[in-house]
Amino acid sequence: MATDDQTSFDNDEAVDFAIVGSGSAGGIVAKELSTAGFKVVVLEQGPFRRAQDFSHDEIAVSRYRELLGGTQEAHGQTFRGDDSERAVRATWPVAEYAQTVGGSSVHFTANFWRLREIDFRERSVLGPVSGTNFTDWPISYEELEPYYSRVDWEIGVSGAPGPFDSFRSRPFPVPPMPVKSSGVLLETGAQKIGLHPQPAPLAILSKPLNGRAPCVNCGYCMGYGCEVGAKSSTLAAMIPLAQASGNCEIRADCAVFKVDTGPDNRVHGVHYYDPAGRERLQKASAVILCANGAETTRLLLMSANNAYPDGLANSSGFVGRNLMFNGHSMAHGVFEHPLNEFKGVQVTRIVHDFYESDPARGFYGGGGIDARPLDAMGPISFAMSGHRPDTKDWGAEYKEMLAHDFTRRLTVLGSTTSLAMDSNNITLDPVSTDRWGRPAIRLTYRDHPDDLSMARFLQDRAMEILDAAGAEIAWRDPVHAQNGGAHLLGTCRMGDDPATSVVDKYHRSHDIPNLFICDGSSMVTSGRGQPTMTIMAMAFRAAEHIAAAAHKNAI
Amino acid sequence: MHGDQLTRRLFLQGSGSVAGSSLMRAALPGVMALAGPACTARDNDASFSVLTDDDAIEFAAIADRILPTTDTPGAREAGVIHFIDQAFAGLMQDLYAQSVSDLATFQAGVGEAFPGKTRFSELNDAQQDRYLEAQDASSFFQLLHRMTIYGFFGMQSYGGNRDQVGWQLLGFEPRHAWQAPFGHYDDPALQGEPGGD
Repeated sequence: MATDDQTSFDNDEAVDFAIVGSGSAGGIVAKELSTAGFKVVVLEQGPFRRAQDFSHDEIAVSRYRELLGGTQEAHGQTFRGDDSERAVRATWPVAEYAQTVGGSSVHFTANFWRLREIDFRERSVLGPVSGTNFTDWPISYEELEPYYSRVDWEIGVSGAPGPFDSFRSRPFPVPPMPVKSSGVLLETGAQKIGLHPQPAPLAILSKPLNGRAPCVNCGYCMGYGCEVGAKSSTLAAMIPLAQASGNCEIRADCAVFKVDTGPDNRVHGVHYYDPAGRERLQKASAVILCANGAETTRLLLMSANNAYPDGLANSSGFVGRNLMFNGHSMAHGVFEHPLNEFKGVQVTRIVHDFYESDPARGFYGGGGIDARPLDAMGPISFAMSGHRPDTKDWGAEYKEMLAHDFTRRLTVLGSTTSLAMDSNNITLDPVSTDRWGRPAIRLTYRDHPDDLSMARFLQDRAMEILDAAGAEIAWRDPVHAQNGGAHLLGTCRMGDDPATSVVDKYHRSHDIPNLFICDGSSMVTSGRGQPTMTIMAMAFRAAEHIAAAAHKNAI
Repeated sequence: MHGDQLTRRLFLQGSGSVAGSSLMRAALPGVMALAGPACTARDNDASFSVLTDDDAIEFAAIADRILPTTDTPGAREAGVIHFIDQAFAGLMQDLYAQSVSDLATFQAGVGEAFPGKTRFSELNDAQQDRYLEAQDASSFFQLLHRMTIYGFFGMQSYGGNRDQVGWQLLGFEPRHAWQAPFGHYDDPALQGEPGGD
């Protein structure tokens, strides 16, 4: 776990910006501000892994959650369906995110869907949904589009325009990844039932770009770090540029536990545990939280003070509320011939015919469909959870089923909307703690009935696609309320009204002028399930406005 | 069906113990080429790290029913017991004491279910399956199930998946780079053949 030679700053030397988190947002904000000449320290609770530190070791990565900072004992997270239940310690990471430089952009699957115009003004178009905090964004697709294009070109996105996409100001920099058997079958099945499949946009390079090598189709994208740097993580695309600026120190293995505040209603730095476990204070003129929708929330709640007894920057009470996971529904099929889905990226074709909400369905929601190996990417994950529902999971028949199905199975996955609600939230667990002794993240979550209806609707379409594609056998996983998620959205939403949002449209907290928040927590609605593209676009935009404000001495 | 002596002898053949090592090498020459400390230890006739021979026979017998030897290699040929030993010595050491205790309880039940028998490994295949079916939801079985999967399909550095028999069973190849076409349906050369639309 090499750390390159890089600039270092003293704790007592107030840097221009302390950034908490080095992931999809933090890596971009750090690069943008440091190359603009600002002094930046990035605090990352995970280690500084490089491409050469990643492996295909299913036991370490998939089962023992190496990139997530360890198993449940390490994070202590708890979950409950609603606040009448006692939250219990989960046996799996209910708020799933990587703890490593580059954050979850290192281990994500790299599906990279832009939002569309409709996502930003859906509430105005469709009207209210009772019992929810469904509302419009304070920005439009037009305002974010230039930054989506920057993500395409500077982070690196492969793809081709689809029939339903919103406008783009520049083409994709590199073409789609080569189609896999799952993509061909999705295309075949979808077209047979009158749908319009399209190449999947992915944050994975199909050709060299910006000095980075293209994908070698090794198959270990979902949940793994890329060994050749072809996956467009901030580790691969941004962190090296930030370090090369000479203005940025990436401080790995440092866990922030409190934002430092003063009587002047300003923040003055961040308190953190250094790699040896010692408490330290990094002074900074401004603080930017990019720690993800769960960690950013926890940090604000842990930083409560006399002025903000319910959590820093939380005069609205909206810190932690409106958590959105996105819905996920799965249908599986086994085909006659080998697909060999363990080779190559997860997803090569998608279907966006059902992206927009349609009142005729009788419920709010939209989503997209893809086809992928899912569990069939790896032998252990397949043996643990890929088997047919009517098969005992041990014995000779089980073994025979594994041998037959591993190369022949695919999953058609629906990714769908989540509605923002007060009752879905992140709070501090009163008992459980993480490995640093910080109060554990407690999730309270139950999908809105419309979210479940939309997930089932797409699953019905997935079953039709599998049938039309010629699956010999197909089945579905029951859709029910989720008990965890990797998309941690909405918990510090942006908005124009300080009474109903945490940050303004430029990611500055309404309450504290030199505290900024930019990550999945900023999202107002959930999109259709692949939020990282939007988190990265927001980060480019936020950095531009923060830099402009700093240059004008307006922070 | 094999009795106590046969089961024990078969297991010891594959265990890397003094009694079995030469036979194992004769049967599985490829094992000599494998990487990883467990393989080295096995080839040097080292004993288990933490397991007693008696317990190892029982754990191996359970693993053998989870992924039995059929016309293809099973847990026995994959050396799953060596994964189990290595895991109990390291990765899963926090589960070892409880597992040994659970094994004793598991064994005590054998005599109740099959009068005259005292060890799971003494039962024939059908009896073993029947006994396991009655408790395959138990945490003890679930742990052994998990360990058998890991030991059969995991990287060889963990001590199992000998000769990559687990990966060969699935048709999985542990390469770090592939090129299209990947499978039947995306191979233009196979278009038009049955099932290849």
